[in-house]
Amino acid sequence: MLPKLFHITPSGAAGILFAAFAFFVVPTLAGSLWLSVFTSMGCFTLAIAGVAFMYARLGMVSLTQVGLMGVGGWVMLRLNHGFALPFEVNLVIAGLATMVLGWVLALPALRLRGLYLALVTLMAAGGLEIILSTFQFPNGGSGFWGVQTGSGAGFRRPALAQSPEAYLRYVVAMVTLAFLFIELHRRLAPGRAWALIRRSEAAAMAAGVNVTFYKAWAFGISGLLAGGAGALLAGSLGLLDGGTFRASESVMLFALAVVGGARFWLGAVIAAALFRVLPALLNNWGVDADLSFVIFGAGLLHAVITAPNGIAGQITEFFAGLSHKLSNKLGLVPSTVIEGSADD
Amino acid sequence: MKKLNIMLSATVGFIGVAMAGQAAAAPSCGSNTGEAATGEPIIVGGIHGNAAPGDFSASTDAAAAYFSCVNANGGINGRPIDYRVENDQWNPELASQAAAKLVDDAGAVALVGNGSFMEMAVNAGTYAKANVMVMASACAISECFESSNIVSTNQGPLPSNLGATQYAQEELGATNVACIGLNIPNNGPWSCQPSIDLMKARGGDGSMALLNPGAPDVNSALLESIANGADTILMNLPAGLAIAVLKAAEEQDLRDSYNWIAPTPLYDLSVPEALGEYWDGKVWVNAELAPFHLNGADAQNWLAVMDSYANPNDPRDTFAQSGYLSARFFTDTMLAMDPAEVGDRAKVTDAIKSIKGLTSDLMCGPYYVGDSDFHMPNHAGYMLQMVGGGFKVVRDCYEFDSAYFEPHIALEKKLGLR
Repeated sequence: MLPKLFHITPSGAAGILFAAFAFFVVPTLAGSLWLSVFTSMGCFTLAIAGVAFMYARLGMVSLTQVGLMGVGGWVMLRLNHGFALPFEVNLVIAGLATMVLGWVLALPALRLRGLYLALVTLMAAGGLEIILSTFQFPNGGSGFWGVQTGSGAGFRRPALAQSPEAYLRYVVAMVTLAFLFIELHRRLAPGRAWALIRRSEAAAMAAGVNVTFYKAWAFGISGLLAGGAGALLAGSLGLLDGGTFRASESVMLFALAVVGGARFWLGAVIAAALFRVLPALLNNWGVDADLSFVIFGAGLLHAVITAPNGIAGQITEFFAGLSHKLSNKLGLVPSTVIEGSADD
Repeated sequence: MKKLNIMLSATVGFIGVAMAGQAAAAPSCGSNTGEAATGEPIIVGGIHGNAAPGDFSASTDAAAAYFSCVNANGGINGRPIDYRVENDQWNPELASQAAAKLVDDAGAVALVGNGSFMEMAVNAGTYAKANVMVMASACAISECFESSNIVSTNQGPLPSNLGATQYAQEELGATNVACIGLNIPNNGPWSCQPSIDLMKARGGDGSMALLNPGAPDVNSALLESIANGADTILMNLPAGLAIAVLKAAEEQDLRDSYNWIAPTPLYDLSVPEALGEYWDGKVWVNAELAPFHLNGADAQNWLAVMDSYANPNDPRDTFAQSGYLSARFFTDTMLAMDPAEVGDRAKVTDAIKSIKGLTSDLMCGPYYVGDSDFHMPNHAGYMLQMVGGGFKVVRDCYEFDSAYFEPHIALEKKLGLR
């Protein structure tokens, strides 16, 4: 059991190498602009990992993810301004609070599937957008909402990550932990239950799987990741604005998760790069960043028509094919591990 | 600065005529050598916000025009200014990235002409940490006026609202003012509250109706203001939204039941035409800088610079005046420095913080910076009435009555400016 639990697949090894590169190399090479862009990208990778995981494991479409990020960011800012707790404690509480909200939102929606579930989650995102725009984000004021008129108070970053370089490393570490957390679930009982639910809810119930519990559990994990992402984004900027957490952004985030490839860790990274790095690149080149929407649309068409597993799926298939050819050429037995466990 | 409170009776300016007369003047910039600067460029940054619901790029457009003129006239002791402008698109992430790019990556010695609802709140700490000064021009939020490293040539909404409210209370018989603003804590509530306080201090009353900046419903705000018992509507909004409020009021024929007042953003030459005859003589606007038709030497030079170096489509509005002024004050400060030190950010910051007593006919009082945690050198203005397709001055330079300005007045006394 244990060796199987900690078995490192080729995809997992590539992920660990990529995380090491992002942790050790990227902060030393990136200028200040790109440190800021990559930090945002890291935060959204975390959120996309949550929404992609729900879609890949259970076929559930959640269009609330960016709104839930806003909730995590709100809790982080409120705690930061209201109490002298360490950043990490605030981060955990923000994630857990959003997880609970994810559960609350999930319970009435659990009997719904497909388009109806998507619509209900979109309505929830719209509601969160209105609440966040109306009551604003805490800026050091008193009372429950913590909003004061005029200039906001300062924000305390983690003691370990005061500089932009260190904060990017901090975010990369958190994202890596999140991917490992998802993979751990995939390899344990929840993963088996989700696989069964995805194939047939009736069959899963017949096999004794508590469908409601495991679906709600998935919503909770997705909420936890979104809350953490929002809290980290708040830490990056020191303040948040309602405009960042519009319902339309949740739709865009889900679409890009499909374009990137919802079944793969690389898909979440690609989706986050499209979401945050591509507009920054266009801005940097003096091109209107709105052009990125055209590119996103083309990417979505590409995914729907020719690449159901997204860009990451195509990359994985390419390397699997290459490995297969090499094995044949060298007279080796082709590895089944590559195709069988490329997910996540 | 002397308190004037003078009511002008005869100054009627119709801008088109005045501006046509000014366009022919040759611009005067920097060293005025007539020779292009060819030395090592000095990097200067600028950040504006241009996205829904407002475009604040007029200030950086005007600053860019002035710097082009300076570069064509000897630059800063032969060194041209490399002016780099970023757009924060009203997005805090992009605002942070813009500052990171200009301050850390490009190594700008200062930022000039900034105009935004967003970037000052995100970046005020960054500027202080990097010891770089921002000579902003189109500020709208509290951080712009309550930070150590940001100083703006424009007043922002708080004083301009106060000026409009004070005039309405003294001249239009206002007893209850409803301030319609954006629901942004460091903008709408921050800038509306002192006007409400002023009304209460003078025996009246006030309220605020706040709009969601992402989905502003002006009709609801208008109805809320009326329900609050207002007799005067203060439109503390960007010009486009203020016009939308007036259009909504026109549909309900509310013009004659209320006083309609606004801070500077509504002082735009295109506004009278956009509003039409229905509003002729019924809208009063506070101007943070000199009205265009007053035609002082600096006002003429601003237009000459815009005509010679700006895009013909760039706005000629108050924010453009302000961008020009910030660029001019910055250039004058750089020219007064030791030429060996103009590329050194710390020295440039010291020089900017030492500014005091610079004057222009575009401003009611002297421009100064000083080493303090707040900066608002411009806190006196004009009151205008929209009439005859243009604007006429109904009150010349006057200071605004509020306890908010007590520390500023104390600083001015300390600097010997009063």
